Amino acid sequence: MKLVAVSLLLAISLAGGADGHRLDEYLQATLIGVTRDGVDLEINLTPGIAVLPAVMAEIDRNRDGRISPEEEQAYSTEVIRDLELRVDGKVVPLRLIGSRFPSVEDMREGLGTIRLNLHTDSSGHELRFENRHMQKVSVYLVNCLASGDSGLLAGSPIRAEDQRSIRFTYSFANSSSWPAQGTFWIAGIGMVTIARLALRRQTGRG
Amino acid sequence: MRKIAFLAALVTCGLVHAQSPTGVPAAIVASVNSFLNSLDEGQRTRVLFDFNDAAQRVRWSNLPTAMVARAGLKMGELSETQRSAAMGLLAVTLSKSGYEKVLAIMEGDEMLKAEDGGRGGPPGPGGRGGRGGAPNSEMFGHDLYYISILGKPSVKDPWMLQFGGHHLALNITMVGRQGILTPSLTAAQPAKYTVAGKTVRPLGAENDKAFALVNALDDSQRKQAILNYKVADLVLGPGEDGKTIQPEGLKGSAMNARQQAMMMDLIGEWAGIVNEQSATARMAEIKSNLADTWLAWSGPTTNGSAAYYRIQGPTLVIEYAPQSMGGDPTMHIHTIYRDPTNDYGKKSAAR
Repeated sequence: MKLVAVSLLLAISLAGGADGHRLDEYLQATLIGVTRDGVDLEINLTPGIAVLPAVMAEIDRNRDGRISPEEEQAYSTEVIRDLELRVDGKVVPLRLIGSRFPSVEDMREGLGTIRLNLHTDSSGHELRFENRHMQKVSVYLVNCLASGDSGLLAGSPIRAEDQRSIRFTYSFANSSSWPAQGTFWIAGIGMVTIARLALRRQTGRG
Repeated sequence: MRKIAFLAALVTCGLVHAQSPTGVPAAIVASVNSFLNSLDEGQRTRVLFDFNDAAQRVRWSNLPTAMVARAGLKMGELSETQRSAAMGLLAVTLSKSGYEKVLAIMEGDEMLKAEDGGRGGPPGPGGRGGRGGAPNSEMFGHDLYYISILGKPSVKDPWMLQFGGHHLALNITMVGRQGILTPSLTAAQPAKYTVAGKTVRPLGAENDKAFALVNALDDSQRKQAILNYKVADLVLGPGEDGKTIQPEGLKGSAMNARQQAMMMDLIGEWAGIVNEQSATARMAEIKSNLADTWLAWSGPTTNGSAAYYRIQGPTLVIEYAPQSMGGDPTMHIHTIYRDPTNDYGKKSAAR
C-alpha cells in the first residue's frame, strides 16, 4: 500500500501536470442515449498516467505489454460486469456493440481513451445507471443525451455526488421542442457508426 | 525580445481593428490571399485542404501538438513575413479582444516552455515531456501553433480558417458575411502570469463574470443553478461533435433582466472572439433564445475557487472546467464553445 502511494506521488511529481495529461485519476465518462427502441451507452475511459499500472493490470492479463483482441474483449466484459442499468426497476443486459482501444503508448502518455458502445433493447419510463468499475481510482461523468425528433422528454436527473450513478424518468412525445433537436438522432447515429467502425477494425485485426 | 514581440502584436491588433465593419469579409479574404501569396508552392499545398475534408476539420485538441498531431503550417516554420501575414489574418478575422485573448493563451504556453529552464524535461513515459520525453521546447510555445485553410477563400462561398495548438482551437467557418466560430476551444495554463510587468489572465473575464453572475442569483435561483455533483472535466470537449446533453440548472426565463444581461455579457467572452460583425449576429441569435438557455454550476461560489459551469441553450454550449491534474486547478482552465445546430457552419453552409 505504502509502495503504491509512493509510486503515485513519484509519477505525479514527474508528470507535473503542465501538459494536460490526466494524472492520478481514471476518468470514466458515460453518455446515455434513450430511444423508443432501447438504451445506448457510450463509455469513454481515460486512465491517468499514475493509475495506468492498475488499469493495465486489469487489461494486459498476460503481462506482455500489449493489448490483444482477446484482452480487449475480456476487459470490455469486465467493465460491463461492473455496470448496472435498470429500466423500470429491472436490471437489463448490456450488449457490447463496439469498442476501440488506444495504443499502449498513448495510454502511457495519459492520452489514450478506451471507447465502449453498449446497447440494450429494453425501454420503459425510468432509468437507473450505476458504474462501479475501479471506484478507488476513478472520477465519473454521466449525462443523458438530449432528445431529437424522437420527442424524448427526460425528467430532471438525480446523480450521486461523484456521478457514479444517475436516475431519471422519461417518456416520449410527438413534439419537437428544444431540447428535442435533430442532434439526438445525429448523436445516436454517430454512436452506432463509431461502434460499427470499431467492430470492423476489430474484425480486420482478427 | 519575446515580450516586445507580444506587445507589438497587441499594437498591430489595435491598428487592424480600426477598419470599417462593412468591409470585414472582403478584408478577411484579402488577408488570407495575402498570406497564401507569401507562401511557396510546397507550403501552399500543405496549408490548403478541401472544404469537406472531414478528417482535417476535426483535427484539433486541447493537448500539445507533440501529443496530438495537427496538420497545416506551423508558426515556427514560417518566415517573419509569412508569420506576420498569418497573424494579420487572425487579427482581421477576430475581434480586438478575441485576438488579444488568443495572444494571451499563446503567451501562456510560452511561459510553460520557459518553465523547463532548459532542463529538457525528464525522459521517458510519465515525464513532463511528450513522446519519448520531448523537452518543453518541443511541447509548448508560440512556434507550435498551426494554421490551415479549408476550401477556397471567398466572400460568397463557404471556407474555413483553423488556428490552434496546445490549449487553443479556433475553427472559423466563413459563409458570406457570417463568421461561425463553433466549435472552438480556449484554455489557459498558467491562468495568470506577468509579462513586461503586466498581469495577464487569458480567461480572467470568463472566470470573474461567471462568479459575479452566480453571486447575483438569489437563494432560490442558486439552489437550481448549483448542481449537487462534481464535474471533473468538459462533457462535450474535443471529439464530442454532434452531441447535445440534457440541459440542467437554472433557466434564463427564471432570471431577472440584470441577471440575463450578466449572462449575455459572460457568453460574449466566447461569442465575441470572432469579429464584431459576426459576433453581433451571433449574440442576437443567442439572446433570442435566452429564456431557454440554462446556467449550471458545480463547485464553490467564492471567486478564486475552482468551479465548473455550463451555459446551454438551443444553439449554444459553453463549458468552463478547471483541471485538477496535479496542480492548482484555478491555474489550468479548459473551455469549449459549441453551437450544436451549426458547428463547423454546417447549417449556414447548407443554406
